[in-house]
Amino acid sequence: MSDRLRLAAMVISAVGIAIAGYLTYVHYAGISPVCEIAHGCEKVQTSEWSEVAGIPVAVLGLLGYAGILAALFVPGETGATAAAGMALVGAGFSAYLTYREVFTIEAICIWCVASAILMTVLAILTVVRLARQSPAALSTARAAR
Amino acid sequence: MTTATPTKKERRDQARQERIAREQAEAARTARRRRFTRLGAVLGAAAVVVVILVAVSSSGGGSTASTSSSASSSAVAGTQASRSLLNGIPQKGLTLGNANAPVRVLEFADLQCPFCRDYTTGVMPGLVQKYVRTGKVRMEFHALAFIGPDSVRAARVAEAAGRQDKLWNVTELAYHNQGKENSGWATDATLKRITGAVPGLDTNKVFAARDGAGVTNALKAAGALATAHKVNETPTFLVGRGNDLKATDAAGLTAAIKAAVGS
Repeated sequence: MSDRLRLAAMVISAVGIAIAGYLTYVHYAGISPVCEIAHGCEKVQTSEWSEVAGIPVAVLGLLGYAGILAALFVPGETGATAAAGMALVGAGFSAYLTYREVFTIEAICIWCVASAILMTVLAILTVVRLARQSPAALSTARAAR
Repeated sequence: MTTATPTKKERRDQARQERIAREQAEAARTARRRRFTRLGAVLGAAAVVVVILVAVSSSGGGSTASTSSSASSSAVAGTQASRSLLNGIPQKGLTLGNANAPVRVLEFADLQCPFCRDYTTGVMPGLVQKYVRTGKVRMEFHALAFIGPDSVRAARVAEAAGRQDKLWNVTELAYHNQGKENSGWATDATLKRITGAVPGLDTNKVFAARDGAGVTNALKAAGALATAHKVNETPTFLVGRGNDLKATDAAGLTAAIKAAVGS
């Protein structure tokens, strides 16, 4: 079960890397993202909330997804904890950015919403994996004594 | 029916099983406790990091402007092109080129207008190279802001940059980074990235001056000049010597300059 969760999280992280990578490219190339459904990407991507202390949020997202994917390859408690921690941070900050999109910028960027959904699913998967992994590992350790 | 009294061995086995059960229950409790402690710690740490990110994001919108030009310029499209086009050419207020150049080219443009952008990125570099760099022509940029709020915001920043003799660097970069009309692209963050990419331009001074009376009056003057010359589309150019100016559009500009320069 934990292996399936890990595999699902890996796939989602890879998709997240693709989306954040595209948004990072768009940011640095100074072009508009492909945004056919809701024409808000450009407004969101050039808003005050598109950067944190001068770092584009697309870059932060890219680093986040890459970090989570790397942590998923680390076996045991450390990797699971790191992945869950990063995914929770990503989901929390994505929720804040989505709030800003809807209520402050008043524009929706479909790429950003897609990323926020992926990050939320990642947070759920990695937390469930962390919660399931530890007691099993502990009781196995006790029984073997 | 009699109940068989358990033998000593049976009692011992039962006691052992009870002890094992107790130990297993205790182990499960410990595991649960540990699991909740760790989940709580991860959630708490994540919440702290999110709060920090939100705080930096909320307060950092304005402060990103003070990032050094070298750090932020890599993010701004057209930085290299505009530098190689303008480097070494004198600028004074609205004017690009030698102040004593005999021929004047007055450009009336909206920083949101796509035709103005096409002229700036397509035709203008050749003209600058041939006529402005050689001291034959001086160009003046008169910002009009009729398309929408993005026009006004961008024009104010360009005009304010003119107070530091960097107007043309800003208009160049604004065109290279132009968004769709009235999409809200000319945000403070975008404009600060642009001004931050101009060497020697003080972004804080630009933003302090953009809403001042000086900039407001300069934009009004540009509008009045456009009205006086019956400018009703952008880009429109007035070309000539002194005050003997003839209006032309982008398509006729090269020929008009040639005629005015006499070569």
